[in-house]
Amino acid sequence: MSASGEHCGSQHCITCGDDGVPMTVVRVDLDRGLALCAGEDGARASVEIALVDPVLPGDTLLVHAGTALVRLGEAA
Amino acid sequence: MRFVDEFRDPELGRALSGEILSLVEPGRHYKLMEVCGGHTHSIYKYGIDDLLPANVELVHGPGCPVCVIPMGRVDDGIAIAHQDGVIFTCFGDMMRVPGSSGSLLDAKAAGADIRMVYSPLDALRIAKHNPERQVVFFAIGFETTAPSTALTLKRARAEHLPNFSVMCSHVTIVPPVRALLESPDLRLDGFIGPGHVSTVVGARPFEFIPADYGRPVVISGFEPLDILQSIEMILRQLAAGRCEVENQYKRVVPYEGNLRALEVMAEVFELRPHFEWRGLGFISHSGLKLTEAYAELDAEARFSVPGVRVADPKACQCGEVLKGVIKPWECKVFGTACTPERPIGTCMVSSEGACAAYYNFGRFAREREVV
Repeated sequence: MSASGEHCGSQHCITCGDDGVPMTVVRVDLDRGLALCAGEDGARASVEIALVDPVLPGDTLLVHAGTALVRLGEAA
Repeated sequence: MRFVDEFRDPELGRALSGEILSLVEPGRHYKLMEVCGGHTHSIYKYGIDDLLPANVELVHGPGCPVCVIPMGRVDDGIAIAHQDGVIFTCFGDMMRVPGSSGSLLDAKAAGADIRMVYSPLDALRIAKHNPERQVVFFAIGFETTAPSTALTLKRARAEHLPNFSVMCSHVTIVPPVRALLESPDLRLDGFIGPGHVSTVVGARPFEFIPADYGRPVVISGFEPLDILQSIEMILRQLAAGRCEVENQYKRVVPYEGNLRALEVMAEVFELRPHFEWRGLGFISHSGLKLTEAYAELDAEARFSVPGVRVADPKACQCGEVLKGVIKPWECKVFGTACTPERPIGTCMVSSEGACAAYYNFGRFAREREVV
């Protein structure tokens, strides 16, 4: 996963997996339980969606260490 | 970007700063701890402490996943990485954490096959592509990264991958917070609760803080307005004599957490009787290990490790920084012998570490008006 944009400036380690990054779902691969997602800077990554599925293209997910923890805008 | 830009509005920031000023009692000193390293990073990055009255002090807590890993665990990882046929994988920050005789990065330079990954799924992919090698993932972090490791272990077991294992060093957030509250060193008035950990565990695990210790908790987002509003909410509770768990980060954190994540963690992990935290010592029931059902994927059972406790370097005061007893710049080696390029202590390694955050954003002097 590429932590993107604001989360990934010169003062921030680009390699830290423990960084929550909002990413937008581009395509869903139901067979593998993964979604192709794009970060703020357009960088794409495969994201585990077992904890938030079903998801649809266009949804924004909060992704930690390659796993989506929550769909943004839904918590209550 | 949506969910980001609207939480950085300077006008609203100034208004919140004014609210905070109106809530503090002159002459009273407020000590608020941000538990999470992500908050520490944001506070320094956006200069949030400069928007607060001088008698509101932010104390940096132990919530940086890299900073709390003791030297002995790094040595154990290096010992595995040096074994024949092993590909050792970990998050990038972890590679720079010093062990007793160098870091994983030093071990890589010495010839060990150590690879940086962004997620445990990347490590699993490496295992599939290298069936003749043993691939080990060094799993660190709180309840934010633990579900990711748990899901990866489930995949590894379902796919019968014989060459994948995990060195589990996951920790949980509540025990160190309780340890800090029991510490006679520190008197805190309230807590800025961890945002992303709470997306998994929810707000309920923090209810003991007001119930048992009489301190307010506000679970907070990571943008500047989130943190300012959370401070305002804590001060409003204190001013009104209230004491409860409030959720400022409702757009992300459900009060009950993510039940699916909690289920998968309960299936894959169980609590260790005790776990050593850098600077904090051994804390009961604060670390995770694999359950019996996943024991065959436990790297510490598959490979021999020294498992020796290593004392922190004498010059390093990470323990006091992690407990909020001293500020980063009060450490004897801060910015001289210990820098982000050549860290002695873990707090200088990760961008979420209090020392690195303070060092990177150049806050070497400040003067504020006392209210």
